[in-house]
Amino acid sequence: MGIELRGTAASPGIGLGTARTVRMPDLDFSAVPFRGETAEQTRLEEAVRLFLLRTEDMAQALGEELGGEAVGILTAQRMMLEDPALRDALRRAIQEGACAEAAVDRACGLFRDRFAGLEDPYLRQRAADIEDLRRRMLALLLGQEETDLTALPPDTVLVLHELTPSMTAGLDRDHIAALVAETGGAAGHAAILARALEVPAVLGIPGALDHIPDGTPLAVDGGSGTVLLDPDGRQQADFQARREHWMADRAGLEAYRREESHTADGRPIAVLANLSRPADAEAAARACAQGAGLFRTEFLFLDRAVPPAEEEQYRAFCQAADQLPGRKLVLRTLDIGGDKSASCLGLEPEADSFLGHRGIRWCLDHPDVFRTQLRAVLRAAAERPGLRLMFPLVDGLEELRAAKDLLAECRTELETEGIPVPRDLPVGIMVETPAAALTADQLAREADFFSIGTNDLIQYTLAVDRGNARVAKLYTPCHPAVLRLLRDILSAGRAAGIPVCLCGEAAADPRLTPLLLAFGLEEFSVSPPSILPLRRRLAVWTMEEARQVAREALERSAAQEIAAYLERVLRA
Amino acid sequence: MVSAKTRIVDPMGMHMRPAQRFVQTVMPFACDVTVLANGREVDGRSIMDLMSACLKQGMEIEIRCEGRREAECLQAAVALVESGMDR
Repeated sequence: MGIELRGTAASPGIGLGTARTVRMPDLDFSAVPFRGETAEQTRLEEAVRLFLLRTEDMAQALGEELGGEAVGILTAQRMMLEDPALRDALRRAIQEGACAEAAVDRACGLFRDRFAGLEDPYLRQRAADIEDLRRRMLALLLGQEETDLTALPPDTVLVLHELTPSMTAGLDRDHIAALVAETGGAAGHAAILARALEVPAVLGIPGALDHIPDGTPLAVDGGSGTVLLDPDGRQQADFQARREHWMADRAGLEAYRREESHTADGRPIAVLANLSRPADAEAAARACAQGAGLFRTEFLFLDRAVPPAEEEQYRAFCQAADQLPGRKLVLRTLDIGGDKSASCLGLEPEADSFLGHRGIRWCLDHPDVFRTQLRAVLRAAAERPGLRLMFPLVDGLEELRAAKDLLAECRTELETEGIPVPRDLPVGIMVETPAAALTADQLAREADFFSIGTNDLIQYTLAVDRGNARVAKLYTPCHPAVLRLLRDILSAGRAAGIPVCLCGEAAADPRLTPLLLAFGLEEFSVSPPSILPLRRRLAVWTMEEARQVAREALERSAAQEIAAYLERVLRA
Repeated sequence: MVSAKTRIVDPMGMHMRPAQRFVQTVMPFACDVTVLANGREVDGRSIMDLMSACLKQGMEIEIRCEGRREAECLQAAVALVESGMDR
């Protein structure tokens, strides 16, 4: 049995191959002498010339394949190096007696620190690009060849300290079986790049370069975050089989990367994306999502000392909308409380937070925070017609009306200030409490659309706290009470003529696909990786077959029987 | 030297792409370009300076150009800013 290392599952898939370790080049320049101003200036110019040449090559190689973020970073690096302000700083440093290396280190360090200190989170990120630029320039000057990753032997598993944008750009994608890195998390830059390349990746294994000698056979599971060293024959065969299965599955899914979905008998169904963090919008666009059924605005509030200002939220909404041009994007206002906290809002802990001060309740009691968000939504929607607004955890009409009143006040305020507002902004609600589900017919008269949040709806309906291990097994979407509520919400929406979307985990649950179709659901919203698999499943069902399954499921009265029946149907 | 006042209309403000386009627009005229905003002066040919000045939508800026083709340069720069830069 080989050694197993565990890290962050950053990009799904199975990779089997040989370790190729890439050590960070030694960038110590303390022994480099100053050879005089002219000589240093010439060395610097030569390094700049090489840098620009290589960056251009990388951008071109990448442009054809990926586009988007990574090419943008390379273009920016090129322009930064040609920047008169940076050039000035470099020249001055050399005039003051610094060797070219020290000049690069000083000048880039200066700008990196300047960006790192900016308030705007987007601009702050540019500090990482400048740092990458600094390292690449130093490597060139010190003759530390950037490791050539453009031509690799087949089935290479790259083991490195950190995957940088410039590395990804030159990567020989055809021969890379997997990536393993010492640093990086699931939401970081490297993970986004790995997923964009569709290479299995396990990140965040400290000391990976010490544990894995170059040439070690490795089996990598990017879905579970495991790296197996020296797999034995049986393990190899096992991984090989899983790899083939994964590859075949991925190839089969490609057919569904297009902007339409329908059932086997041609009924069009919209598949949208749930966006939980900024990078999800790009992933959604790649999977050809027909829009975003749920944009969780909470993430703008996490890990920070003060809540985001109107401008920042406005910008984040515009950015997400621009990733999905011409498509619908539903912004859900801050859904905080329950299992979600944000230190910048100073929430007080509650004994039973799921039944407590959360969602729209909290927002209505904090009109300052709420209004900032509503103003940002209105401003963004004035320019991005696909935007919609949605309130979470609405229990009844009073809350919807109160929220709409605040929205109207914000609209008047903006108009007075001469800031554009949308003529018409559709306003919907999450239906996720039994109270809302049972009064859906009433709510439908004042809401422009519904979105069903099954995660909360199930736990409130069954009175089961998902986080409590002793009762978690009772938590199931297959309980007849839940299924009846889903059916009734959908028919209330249909009767009122308003769109209904389902954005909870149930939307991606294969067992429920036929039931949801039979109940009349026409919009499914799931996390970006679930989009293609869902499209494939939708294409299996005709409406007649789906209705048949729904009838038989609802004839059963116990959750377990229904679940067993639906699982049987899936296997058949 | 010629100068003109204008307002940032791009909703994203002077981010990476707008800054790149601004620099690419003024470079061919081989003029000195200064952008004044918030009581600060930055080099209009430097994306680093432009980005780190945090120019936001709605902000008034003054553009100054100095050089042989300064009038053309100024006109191109103002037209770009007023077109929203990122379109």
